[in-house]
Amino acid sequence: MSSQVLEQQDYRLRAFMVGLRAALPLTLAIVPWGLLAGSFALEAGLSGIEGQAMSVFVFAGAVQLVVLGMIGTNAGLSAILITTFLITSRHFLYGMSMRSHMSHLPLHWRLALGFLLTDELFALTGTKPPEQFNRWHALGIGLCLYMGWNLATAAGIIAGQQIPNMEALGLEFAVAATFIALVVPGVRKVSTLCAVITALLTSVACELYQVETGLLIASLLGMTAGTASSYLLGEPLASQEDAA
Amino acid sequence: MIWLTIILMTAVVFVSRYLFLEPRLPLRLGPRTTRFLSYSAPAILTAITAPIVFMPDGDLALEFSNPYLISAALAVALAYLTRHVLFTTVVSMGVFFVMHV
Repeated sequence: MSSQVLEQQDYRLRAFMVGLRAALPLTLAIVPWGLLAGSFALEAGLSGIEGQAMSVFVFAGAVQLVVLGMIGTNAGLSAILITTFLITSRHFLYGMSMRSHMSHLPLHWRLALGFLLTDELFALTGTKPPEQFNRWHALGIGLCLYMGWNLATAAGIIAGQQIPNMEALGLEFAVAATFIALVVPGVRKVSTLCAVITALLTSVACELYQVETGLLIASLLGMTAGTASSYLLGEPLASQEDAA
Repeated sequence: MIWLTIILMTAVVFVSRYLFLEPRLPLRLGPRTTRFLSYSAPAILTAITAPIVFMPDGDLALEFSNPYLISAALAVALAYLTRHVLFTTVVSMGVFFVMHV
């Protein structure tokens, strides 16, 4: 009995550690943005504690950077909250996609993994079917990103204006590399290819014309193109294996 | 005021992440919605990736001198051939940093 318990604990720890390792490239990629969130908070007039609190509680890179810019220009609270809602609205899609993975978990797990459900966590877990979902693995990924984001914010607050210009390093390529590595093996059907190509073209077009909600528009158009083409081509209903 | 802003932002972001994970939410995903959602990961991840790769400095850069584009093309090839996430990520990042310095 006790050896069984031990074995299970060992298995959980291993899943957790595999999650930590899987999240390392993406954690590296968010460091420059975390530094920026820290130094930018001071610039916007927040105290160090307030700047850190934002990363501790909100834990959403794009939202934090945009809102800090708005606070710096004395934007109103309602404008800040509407902007927050617009940027964060893609998370509704993540939640809906992860419903079959997570909604059966106990409340404390749902709260923890829901709080940690960033682009990166969704990328690493949502590309796999629900049967392969492991809560400890997901927790390892989420906490690795959370620690990285908060340590980088703290470093940005301490360094203040002296933060090195890490944008020139191009660390965001780690995001591109990881996401490509996750998406490509999942493209097994023509309809998925249609979704990917549509999302690619529309996201670049939106970026060119600086459409603020470009990410959401491109994602929804890509999903629509995938769905429409799967009906047109008469593809069978997505089996779980192809759900990536 | 800053604290109120942080608290309300936290609420908005958390609700957007948690809402559909709540089993008591009366939402049954039919086959059409499930099919639509099955494209969420490839579509969203592509929409995040493409601007990084094609317009690293804010302008369209469809040139061989764009290290993002070349390394991304390598990543696509490696991911297709090996289907190994970490290997693909690490090798293409290595090539990127060599090209980028």
